[in-house]
Amino acid sequence: MKNAIEVKNLVKKYDKFKLGEINLEIPSGYIIGLIGENGAGKTTFMKSILNIIKKDQGSVKIFGEEAKEDDSKRNEIGVVLDNSFFPELLTAKDINSVMKSIYSKWDETLFQKYIKDFDLPYDKTIKTLSKGMRKKLEIATALSHHPKLLILDEPTSGLDPVVRNEVLEIFLGFIKDEEHTVLLSTHITSDLEHIADKIVFIDEGKIVLDKDRDELLEEYGILKCSIEEFSKIEQDDIIRYKKNKYGYEILIHNKNKLMKKYSSFVIDKITLEELMVLMIKGEK
Amino acid sequence: MLGLIKKDLFLIKGNLKATGIILIVFIGLAIFGNINLAFLPVFISFVLFMSTFSYDEYNKWDSYAITLPNGRNNVVKAKYATTLILLVVSTVIVTILSILLGVVKNEFDIKEIISATIGSIVAIILLISITYPIIFKFGNEKGRIAMFIIIFLSSSIFAFLFKSVKISKDMISLLEQYGVFAFIILSIILLFGSYQLSKNIYQKKEF
Repeated sequence: MKNAIEVKNLVKKYDKFKLGEINLEIPSGYIIGLIGENGAGKTTFMKSILNIIKKDQGSVKIFGEEAKEDDSKRNEIGVVLDNSFFPELLTAKDINSVMKSIYSKWDETLFQKYIKDFDLPYDKTIKTLSKGMRKKLEIATALSHHPKLLILDEPTSGLDPVVRNEVLEIFLGFIKDEEHTVLLSTHITSDLEHIADKIVFIDEGKIVLDKDRDELLEEYGILKCSIEEFSKIEQDDIIRYKKNKYGYEILIHNKNKLMKKYSSFVIDKITLEELMVLMIKGEK
Repeated sequence: MLGLIKKDLFLIKGNLKATGIILIVFIGLAIFGNINLAFLPVFISFVLFMSTFSYDEYNKWDSYAITLPNGRNNVVKAKYATTLILLVVSTVIVTILSILLGVVKNEFDIKEIISATIGSIVAIILLISITYPIIFKFGNEKGRIAMFIIIFLSSSIFAFLFKSVKISKDMISLLEQYGVFAFIILSIILLFGSYQLSKNIYQKKEF
């Protein structure tokens, strides 16, 4: 299997924050979901892949080659960044005209189709658009030059559930081509439960989990018990735990095995959100 | 690069109305008063262009522009190219206006128009060459401050020179003979050096 992105020993240091070392392989044909708290390093990671910030150490390969500063491979990448980035005085029409001269494979018809599908005005300045509409315009732009790789930082933030589903459907359609790959970060973890093939969890600048989604949701679970029962659970079986009013919520691994071992306890399926919260806020 | 030039021109388009009004005011002043048109409108187009830097910064455009094909190099290239385009266009407009004005007021002096035009182009190239690397390095806000300091300093230095140094007739004739060429060549060298410097600065910049 070919890798769309290969990251080796990537380190980026700031005064009060350090990203890395990050090692990550992103195979072609996958949707990779990047999750983590605000400030965990998701954006820093994506920016260093895109060379918006300079890495201090390590290597980033895109489509098998070291990602260079000014690379015509950029024609194969579609990008959405976390903040609005189009000049506010421009219109969708202007964006079309600008991108036509920038991307060699810019598809005007496709862009206009997205504008129509997304109910976006073609002649109004971006200034007048809502946050969600701006995001939609950015997504439309990222898709309209037939990229092979999408790097999307919080592409669904600010979108209402209907549009969010629409956008996720588009990503799923995009990935049908085996050469296509999506790397997206989000704090709306439920999005990823529908579409991501792989989940990468970043915390305090490091990857703490890198797993297939199905495997992850299958293997991890939440064991619920009362305060008295907590002592019966072996320390080795507890990854994290959280105490609440009624008892304990314990994050466990090897769900099926532990279901037999602790057959008198309730072991629930886990959502990505619960996993994230327990990993970050839970005690060890 | 063409795409990025278009982007800046679209941005400027939004400000054309205001520029038109300023231009009309100055034409009025030139007709009824006694001011030379050459410098100001060209300067205005430069200020207009500076505003594209503020929009870029405000909308965090740069981090996105870097991800485009040949991103970093094109950003710098496009800024200089658009400035030159703007400079040429506004110079042509202003020169035509000056000639028309000369005809209307019946004080047509082609020599004066040419020297005023070349003077303003050289002045603006000087301004751009110093300001742009500062903007690329330290951001738009500091670039603006630098611009005002340069204008203030250079005009006071010139005023001081004119007052205190006795310019002999030889010097004036020498300037008249070679000065224009020297200025043009100097400003081309300066502009090119400034472009290279900006490119180097921008290569290392993070957003």
